Amino acid sequence: MSESAVPLLLSLADDELVLGYRDSEWTGIAPMLEEDVATSSISQDEIGHAKALYEIVREITGAGVDDLAYGREPREYRCCWLVERPRHDWAFTIARRFLYETADDVRTEALVASSFEPLAGLMRKVRREEKYHLMHVSAWLDRLSESGEARPRLESALALAWPDALTFWEEIEGEDEFLAGGCLPAPSPELRRRWLERVERELAARGLDMPRAAGPEPPTGRGGARTGDFEPFWLEMTETYRLEPGATW
Amino acid sequence: MEKKVYEVFRQERDGKPFVHSGNVEAPDDALALQYAREMFGRRGESFRLWVVLRDAVLELSDRDLLSPALDRSFRTVQGYRLRDKLAAAQGREAGT
Repeated sequence: MSESAVPLLLSLADDELVLGYRDSEWTGIAPMLEEDVATSSISQDEIGHAKALYEIVREITGAGVDDLAYGREPREYRCCWLVERPRHDWAFTIARRFLYETADDVRTEALVASSFEPLAGLMRKVRREEKYHLMHVSAWLDRLSESGEARPRLESALALAWPDALTFWEEIEGEDEFLAGGCLPAPSPELRRRWLERVERELAARGLDMPRAAGPEPPTGRGGARTGDFEPFWLEMTETYRLEPGATW
Repeated sequence: MEKKVYEVFRQERDGKPFVHSGNVEAPDDALALQYAREMFGRRGESFRLWVVLRDAVLELSDRDLLSPALDRSFRTVQGYRLRDKLAAAQGREAGT
């Protein structure tokens, strides 16, 4: 059963790694000094979650953690499209993190009941940190949804991020198999339904409209199709690793 | 963005006194708590934090009230030389 969990583990890990890396691009240039520290710290948390997930993959396949994070070709990553987009402005960064953290919360909440104990155990710990991430993004959503310049920027950002956010819930390779084994306790369409309810409630509480655009066709990221934004991002993220693969740092 | 200063007090362990640790600037209370956590709690060094708007702190710094002008040593224990008496008492204790 554990071998079949690899695509699921890589989807989880790659989402966290890529978003952590993208948001770390704010280090040094966030809107306030305190926020700079907070954003950088949250990004490191996400990269830490990715590392812990790659370690589970290593137990199954024997692949090195650095090789998993930095040694794969773009088409071998399993992240959703939402996380690989550039950071844009602060409103986009917050809109994306709101959509992502809410989705991640729904997903990790389900995975706590996974029959694959290494994953269930890790999710229990990860959720303690994600609680803070949700508080942080929720506070920012409150601020940006107040009237003034921020609100229209937030609305545009939510609309821009929306189709990519839907790719979070695309079916993962071999999903039938790890669903049957209880590794993923609920199918992606069911989790997506829970997420849509949550998002609609959170947006309504702030007087914001639910975006209506459809996701990309044909479906994409989980199968390894990447956007044009990925390659330059990947070249930068893996630059040091590729100088000398296998080096001991 | 309107920012306010919040003073942060840190309790290292349950039951210990709160010690002033520094301050954070934040646009509202919710973010102030989070920034305090980032600056003074993310490494597991705090059991509890108090985050207080600086404007809510009442300050007293009047030297006339806090540093009396006259010699008041007669009112403090500094007026007693305890060391010799203590040594004598300990000597008696040891002798018995």
